[in-house]
Amino acid sequence: MHGLRLARWVAAVPMAALALATIYPLVFTVNVAMKTRRDYVLDRFSPAGSLRWDNLAEAWASAGMARYFVNSSVVVAVAVALLLLLGSMAGFALSRLRFRGSSVIFLGCLAGLFIPFQVIMVPLTRIMADTGLVDTYPGLILAYVAQFLPFTVFLMTSHYRTIPAEIVDAARIDGNTTYGVYRRIMLPLGVPALLSVGILDALFCWNDVLISLLVMPSPEHRTLMIGVNSLRGQYSDDIPTFASGVLIAAIPVLMIYLFLQRRIADGVTAGSTKG
Amino acid sequence: MPIGSSSPRVRPARSGQADAATMKQRGHRGGVHATARPTSRGARAERLAPYVLVAPAVLIIVGLRLWPLVLGVDFSFTGDGELNGTPVGASNYLELLGDPLFRTSLGNVGLLVLLLPIAVAIPGLLATFIYLRVPGHRVYRSVYFFPAVLSPVIVGAIFNLMLGFDGPVNAVLGAIGAGPVDWLGDPGIAMFTVVGVHVWATFGMALVVFLAGFSTLDASLLDAARVDGASLGRTIWHVIIPSLTRTIQFVFVTTMIGMLTSMFGLLFVMTGGGPEGSTYLPEYYIWHQQGQMNRPALASAASTVLFVVMLVVGLLQISVLRRAGRQD
Repeated sequence: MHGLRLARWVAAVPMAALALATIYPLVFTVNVAMKTRRDYVLDRFSPAGSLRWDNLAEAWASAGMARYFVNSSVVVAVAVALLLLLGSMAGFALSRLRFRGSSVIFLGCLAGLFIPFQVIMVPLTRIMADTGLVDTYPGLILAYVAQFLPFTVFLMTSHYRTIPAEIVDAARIDGNTTYGVYRRIMLPLGVPALLSVGILDALFCWNDVLISLLVMPSPEHRTLMIGVNSLRGQYSDDIPTFASGVLIAAIPVLMIYLFLQRRIADGVTAGSTKG
Repeated sequence: MPIGSSSPRVRPARSGQADAATMKQRGHRGGVHATARPTSRGARAERLAPYVLVAPAVLIIVGLRLWPLVLGVDFSFTGDGELNGTPVGASNYLELLGDPLFRTSLGNVGLLVLLLPIAVAIPGLLATFIYLRVPGHRVYRSVYFFPAVLSPVIVGAIFNLMLGFDGPVNAVLGAIGAGPVDWLGDPGIAMFTVVGVHVWATFGMALVVFLAGFSTLDASLLDAARVDGASLGRTIWHVIIPSLTRTIQFVFVTTMIGMLTSMFGLLFVMTGGGPEGSTYLPEYYIWHQQGQMNRPALASAASTVLFVVMLVVGLLQISVLRRAGRQD
């Protein structure tokens, strides 16, 4: 490969520019969130000078972000816990137990993976309305579980397939029932995969717009993402407070990213190498 | 050990020697077999255990994903409003065909398909250079991936600020002497702007998938290319692309699905389908017809069309890429 060294350095320039273009929008938003309204109108680009938390406090308290934050946290926590429980149960059965219909069930889960929410949103909303689940926490939790369960089952199944069948057999010889094997062997051995899948599920649920828009119409039930969008109209003449709201919604995700980046990447790539 | 501790469960290791009797009872290989004496309660519980474990997941997936798909297709052949529930044949589909908004949204799908190779090539090229250890490659990997974890609402809100008429992007353009652009207000530009923001937000995902593909790449092939004096372009074309066919295929399909199903948040926050309906996509159309216009049956017809479009595009891509892979 002639000139590879040169090509590397030439490529480094646009790549650095792209990295800047990736980071700058967030830096700009943080900076705006720290400014006073007056500063923003006068010069939106200059550094804010000092860290001011007034806008964040305003967005958190007066604009109702606190309420939306709690709504989102509760729904996401319960939904992810359910996803991991149901996903690991089904993943264990589909990978390490033999029973009639298991391959049909696995194919069914796989099919569920390829049905986007947009395609089923009308009948799903109708089912939810008929069963009185619209605008309730259980309704939104159930909608999230249904949306991300095929993905969770699929990844847990492929993870459990990497665990040798001999381990399961040995546990049975030791006198465990199937449930015992699940609780004492598969659940602990599944922890790495459960973490990766759980983080991805949490991100998906936390970031969702369309499902919560449909299932939770009333203002006091808004999730954080819908709440942020509603700030837009409310604070159209107070951009720093709006930017603060955006920041509040992004902070948990940024934290997860900073500490668990490798796990997120593992989850994303699992489908490409195992599928 | 609870009840039902009968011999079938005690099995020899796969490599060990098994006597004929155990072999007969063993049934399928490689899995736990839950057949003990059907009379004992414990054995019955064991036999049912797999079904108990999959039941909640199966109920939810069938009830809230597969069944709604059938229901939706059925629903698309009935009427709205006063005709609610009455079969109307294909009239919803005919109405869709006549609706300029829906036609725009399908046209935009075509645009996305055309832009797809670019959306795949950018992360592919970046991954190549990161794999070749461009100065600073470790930093780039983490920086590029970070927008991928942000919600479309956050991304859209940030870019509403960035792309404002007197926002940073136009300020940069002004500094180099180009006039300000009305990024989200010009019907000829808005769709490209939204797609650009979507690519900004998601190319990190594809990049990470590409890098995982590179890690399976046979390094000796690259060394051979280097010894033979192949240029970088030829190396990419003749060594890297053929070895990564499966990864490229995966990225093509997932990027397409992403473009067709995860731009709602951006449209919702950035354009609301406008200006002049120019940024409509089928998913936005479906939501609009169902939620705002109270036309669920029409929305169902649009859903069915979207599903068919996705199936066709997905299968077409796979077959085209397979053929391309075989030629190499």
